[in-house]
Amino acid sequence: MAQAPQTKDDAESSLSVVDCDLHQSYATDDELAAYLPKRYQSRGVVIPELLFRHESSSSRPDSFRGDTSSSEGGYNSAGVYPGSSKDGVINHLDENDIDYAFLTHQTDLTINGIPNTDYAFELAKAANEYAMEEWIPEDERFLMSLFVAMEEPEKSAEMIREMGDHPRVKQVLIQSVAGRNPFGQEYYWPVYEAAEEMGLQVGLHVSSTGTGTMNPPTAAGHPTTSVEWGSVVPAAYMGTLASLVAEGVLEKYPDLGFNFIEGGYMWVPHLIWRMDNIWKAARSQVPWLEKRPSEYIYDQVRFTTQPAHFPEDPRRLTKLMEAFDAEKLLMFSSDYPHHDTDDPDHALPPGLSDEAEARIYYKNAQEFYDLPDDPSDLE
Amino acid sequence: MTARHEVCPAAELEPGDRKLIEVGGISIGVFNVDGEYHALNNVCPHQLADLCAGPITGTTTSDEVGEFDEWVRDGEIIRCPWHGWEFEIASGESLFNPHVRTRTFEAAVEESNDPPSKPSGEASSSDNGETAVSESTANDCEGCQGTDRTAQEEEYGTNLAGDEPPVDTYDVEVEAETVVVYV
Repeated sequence: MAQAPQTKDDAESSLSVVDCDLHQSYATDDELAAYLPKRYQSRGVVIPELLFRHESSSSRPDSFRGDTSSSEGGYNSAGVYPGSSKDGVINHLDENDIDYAFLTHQTDLTINGIPNTDYAFELAKAANEYAMEEWIPEDERFLMSLFVAMEEPEKSAEMIREMGDHPRVKQVLIQSVAGRNPFGQEYYWPVYEAAEEMGLQVGLHVSSTGTGTMNPPTAAGHPTTSVEWGSVVPAAYMGTLASLVAEGVLEKYPDLGFNFIEGGYMWVPHLIWRMDNIWKAARSQVPWLEKRPSEYIYDQVRFTTQPAHFPEDPRRLTKLMEAFDAEKLLMFSSDYPHHDTDDPDHALPPGLSDEAEARIYYKNAQEFYDLPDDPSDLE
Repeated sequence: MTARHEVCPAAELEPGDRKLIEVGGISIGVFNVDGEYHALNNVCPHQLADLCAGPITGTTTSDEVGEFDEWVRDGEIIRCPWHGWEFEIASGESLFNPHVRTRTFEAAVEESNDPPSKPSGEASSSDNGETAVSESTANDCEGCQGTDRTAQEEEYGTNLAGDEPPVDTYDVEVEAETVVVYV
């Protein structure tokens, strides 16, 4: 229960829930295209799609702007995107006692899957400017994520320095992680350098990973169904995190944290234990690492809870979480308003301690993003 | 209490060489690293492989993320033949985690005219300075108990992964141009 940890013996914080993944959106592509530079305005919004249609494409009907009673038939069937209703988004915050919510934008905006990297950069910038103008002023609980085009690292770094000093900008956001190369490689470091310099964290968002002409989400190739995609896409996160650790990004930028959003977390103990073990033998390949891979991860990396894992007996999940000290690593996310959204009252298995729940629902995020108890102090 | 054990004539253990010996049921690797003598227990604390049979090598260092320095410490590192864990031959310390240390033994070559400097009276010394250590004496040495392979199953290995105990080192001397290890 989200409410459980919020009051008792917790007087030092007034927070209740931080939502690390809330997809607000423009209503139509035209609304976003208006923020593109002139040379791209007539071209509009062109993004790579999944190579299949999601079976359950529903999103919460109350999240659509305008008079839409149903989301049947696709994200855009009513001519508007889910997450475009400000009232719907604000209701989500009110109903769930959410103190802060990270705006993570229209989920299909696959910036890193666009072969034309100049256009990718401009589209990312347009989405950022749209959100800064249309959403951030609307509610002091909104926190901003800056989309970046990873194949334009220098331009993206410049944009981070220009837009990153706003008090409500708290992270850079890498949308989809099957890039041209693993994101730990030196080519991408200007993004991390700028983020660290501006006191931001780096969020990664799994959605749209492996779509269009991107690398597939796993080496098995492009899946044909959402059954496969949703089940295996954390593999792309494994490759990304292993790269960030081994290439030394976490060593080089010790004040920088990484939040892996919407990938679940049961792949994490596998990666941690395996990486530590292999590192013992192959340490000489990465002599710049000063400590074992898992130490970097516990110190600098977090993972969001959604989509929730639930075995037939959920209490077994509790034991698995305890096996890798999950309460040190996890942060709650709802993925509002999508079909696999998690309600804060049903995102965790039973039997976790009050402290563990408090850490996952808000404490870890408050520390990770350095959030004051009162959102109005963020000015 | 340590027992003295002759390994071989010093001429048979040149720099870069190693010898695997058995003393009182303990398998030991004796090394000449650039004129310095060292001896290690021949058991990797990870999964009990014959550590000292692995490649003698060097390793990498780095001052800057993503940049390798020159190849360093060539000949000073033993790499386990199974999983490749690296240990410093001189100290038995793991390179990835200094608290994981293989047991080392004293090893050196002593001048032929010098009387053997025995830490105990248990080994008998002949007139020409050569020494002999009886198998029974070695078997009685302190520390032999519990370091055979079966006992090490309890002390080492994956049951204690992450908290592996050190692997023993032993003192090595050269006495009368003979390499001698004290176990």
